[in-house]
Amino acid sequence: MDSVLMLQLVLWLPLAGMFALLIVPGVAHDAIRRLSLWTMLLQFALVAVLYARFDPAAAGLQFATRVPWIAEWGVYFSLGLDGYNILLVLLTAFLGPIVVAGSFSAITKDIKLFYAMVLLIQFAMMGTFLAQDLFVFYLFWETMLIPMFLMIGIWGGERRIYATIKFVLYTAFGSILMLAAIIYLVLATQKAGVTSFAFADLMRVKLPLDVQLWLFAAFGLSFAIKVPIFPLHTWLPDAHVEAPTTGSVILAGVLLKMGTYGFIKLGFPLFPDATLVMTPTIMVLAVASIIIGAGLALVQDDIKKIIAYSSISHLGYVMLGLVSLNLIGIQGAIVQMVSHGLTAAGLFLMIGMVYERCHTRDLGEYGGLARALPVYSVAFMILTLASIGLPTTSGFTGEFLVLLGAVNSGWTQHVGGHSFSLVLALAAVSGVVLGALYMLRFAARFLFGQVRVPGADHGPVADLVPREKLILAALIAAVFWLGLFPSEPMRKTEPAAREYQLLVRTSRLPAVATARADAVVQGPALLPGTKP
Amino acid sequence: MNWDIFLVGMLPEHFLLTGLVLLIVWSIASDGARGAAALSLVCVAGAALSAAALGLQGFAGAPFAGQLSVSPTASLAKAVALALALPVLLMAREDHGDGSPLYPLLLSSLYGLVLMLGADSFLTLFLGLELMSLPVYVMVLLGDPQRRWATHSAEAALKYIVLGGAATATLLMGVSLLYGQSGTLALGIFARSLASSDPMALTGAVLVLLAFFLKGAVVPFHTWAPDAYEGASVSVTGYMAAIVKAGVLLAALRLFGETVLSRPMVNLLALLPLASVVWGNLAAMRQPNLRRMMAYSSIAHAGYLYLAFLGAGPGRFQSVLFYLLAYGVMTLLAFSVVPLYGDDSQRDRLDRLQGLFQRSPYAALVIGLAMLSLAGIPPLPGFVAKFLIFREVMAAGHTLVAVLGLVGSYLGIYFYLRVIQLMFMNAQPVPADGDERAPTGAAMVASVLCLVPAVIVAVAPGWVIGRF
Repeated sequence: MDSVLMLQLVLWLPLAGMFALLIVPGVAHDAIRRLSLWTMLLQFALVAVLYARFDPAAAGLQFATRVPWIAEWGVYFSLGLDGYNILLVLLTAFLGPIVVAGSFSAITKDIKLFYAMVLLIQFAMMGTFLAQDLFVFYLFWETMLIPMFLMIGIWGGERRIYATIKFVLYTAFGSILMLAAIIYLVLATQKAGVTSFAFADLMRVKLPLDVQLWLFAAFGLSFAIKVPIFPLHTWLPDAHVEAPTTGSVILAGVLLKMGTYGFIKLGFPLFPDATLVMTPTIMVLAVASIIIGAGLALVQDDIKKIIAYSSISHLGYVMLGLVSLNLIGIQGAIVQMVSHGLTAAGLFLMIGMVYERCHTRDLGEYGGLARALPVYSVAFMILTLASIGLPTTSGFTGEFLVLLGAVNSGWTQHVGGHSFSLVLALAAVSGVVLGALYMLRFAARFLFGQVRVPGADHGPVADLVPREKLILAALIAAVFWLGLFPSEPMRKTEPAAREYQLLVRTSRLPAVATARADAVVQGPALLPGTKP
Repeated sequence: MNWDIFLVGMLPEHFLLTGLVLLIVWSIASDGARGAAALSLVCVAGAALSAAALGLQGFAGAPFAGQLSVSPTASLAKAVALALALPVLLMAREDHGDGSPLYPLLLSSLYGLVLMLGADSFLTLFLGLELMSLPVYVMVLLGDPQRRWATHSAEAALKYIVLGGAATATLLMGVSLLYGQSGTLALGIFARSLASSDPMALTGAVLVLLAFFLKGAVVPFHTWAPDAYEGASVSVTGYMAAIVKAGVLLAALRLFGETVLSRPMVNLLALLPLASVVWGNLAAMRQPNLRRMMAYSSIAHAGYLYLAFLGAGPGRFQSVLFYLLAYGVMTLLAFSVVPLYGDDSQRDRLDRLQGLFQRSPYAALVIGLAMLSLAGIPPLPGFVAKFLIFREVMAAGHTLVAVLGLVGSYLGIYFYLRVIQLMFMNAQPVPADGDERAPTGAAMVASVLCLVPAVIVAVAPGWVIGRF
């Protein structure tokens, strides 16, 4: 089949699946589950083929389409695969069937609405990654909010209403400021003579530093809340703890990557000069996220919270890699995004599996699962070690490359007389130790020691069923694939990493306005009475 | 008077007038006046279609030179307002029954609206505005159809008529100042006076503006809206929110034309609508009942709409009309499927919506969509409408106002989501109250009638904007 058409299918398939669900009667639970699963499997198959066809040597977008949508404003429905999104699209499509299959036994209420929402969020996530037009990107970005709001709010735990409203209010605040920045940016582009929302066009506009800083603050805040970067992370533990397993898996697996993807695709390259000014701040916050996230994970007794805080820590590495502006670091950041998507999604799934059997998330009530549930424990241990970053697993590839990149660029600056980033990079290395500490503390109390299986007095607690084994086997295979053969996927992302490096390093301040004042692109006045 | 232009150009008016006369004759001749709903539906549909046809064909002319003219943009505006009245009529059939005195009142109110949108002089404008408003006072009084002349409806109508009267007085005062200063009643003097430095002209223009703020329920002139909305029946509330508001805003649009505003005017025009956005959204959070909540929501939306006047030139018309369409369709969509009770005041309580999704999923999903759209969450029509307005505001150089307006709109997200939370997020299924029944027949048609344009606007906003 034609690759361009296939990419369209990849996007629209979940939405079509959602509408198809509408005509299935609500009581036909098996049909609903099967339809959702097949939709996701088909989407993954298409993405796998596209991944294979993706040419690492070709620069720019592949399999792209561009259809006028709101012609008057220059909005085009444009999609495409490139080095930035290829791995994340693969990750999203890979997790799709896993998410659906992983929820078969856990979700018993309003099943039809549930799978409709799973498919809708899959559609929105795919769209966000594939979009190459800022308006379309924003539409998809915001569309993700609603299914997640319902998912946590309807199928969540005790304090689900609080958690879901907090999640929406946090995210929406960032989005509304980003919207203001988008309008401003597009108007500035228009003044430069191009009416367009295309990423490529927006990245050619020259903007004065103060405007760049304002716009970067708005975009950055929105992305930073999604990542989340310390100190904007407080919605995450609540959302994770209250969300149903599926919600947590989607949240940790894909949704948290939206923030970092936003930074690498838009936030940094759109405003390179602002990025340069803000780099030290971002570095400090990234390292703070790594260490504080790990520290908080160390003292939790709720097993879901441990993984939630570890996510904050792991995404801190991604941010560190992105601002290192070192090719190795950038590549590491991309791999780390995928790796975290796999391990965190896997760990949340496994917590869901044990919760379904034992109905508690209190670490203190568990012990010695290795003897009670041997298969489960082996899988859990593998994912734990991958999360710590043991060599041969994906976590090692990501974290090692990020730290290598960060120390490398820190060293260069240290030789140049500035030791600031080197110190931060070395502090980040200590995060690896902390990571091992909290995960091993968790695993040790969870899997080893005296056997304590809560709920066992109500009947025997069974080990994994074949469906669960299959899901985990797929996840573990992916974790090893990325750990053992990282060069293959990294070849596909390398052109993007180089382009990103170049974009952020190229200043886009207006030329000094002596020769031709009219050549300077200016946006509308930022504040009444001030000159832009 | 030019007869051709009179006959063809005023076709929407003729449809409405014919319907009105027939309804009155009909109600005198027959006792129950059955078929009134169908007759008014046909007339309004005819009026809307003819207005749309005139607008799309670009018909222009002046049936009464200097008083009333027909232009393509005005015809399109009429078409939108009249089309929004169709679901209201269908809902009214559910609310008020077939033989209600509501229908002639509604038609005459629409007649006033259409007249107002063609006005070239303050005389016609005033005539249209009053003809639009006066029947609405009585429509509020009809209130709860089961308990006629209920006290809370009477109170609401009284409050509305007193404040409406104040608006009329303010408008007349302003117009007389403008007339005294310029010696003409032509609509164009308003825009000229806004830009002038003559204190009398300026005072006149500001008074006219304040009258329009009052009619549109902008803070601090909003206090009538929650009471009037609460006292009226659901369909009349929908009429006030969607259509009367559209009429007022479109008439204001006609007043402003394409003038660019001076700095002091910008401040006045930014301050009160911004206060409206913030206060409307904040106060809506605390409302225990649906119509009061929607009243505060409409106060906030009036704020966004008046902000659009900060934008310059032709974009103003486009953004306001598009916004009115998206807002009107979504508001009526929400009202059309609210479950019915024997007692109308029960219909109003927000907590009655609890667990609605399990009881009637279609109604819950549709109300949910409407709430999300009103909150301005993409990809629903409300988002594109808001985007359009704030883009115009920012393009005119008022970046700070736009950012404050957007942040104000953020305040609104919570109470819209609360409705969704009530409908969907109950732990246990909530059994239906004894006499709850899902809307049927006409109201379902009304909801479909709203849903179709909502989908079209969401899927192809560019195409819709291109028509305006």
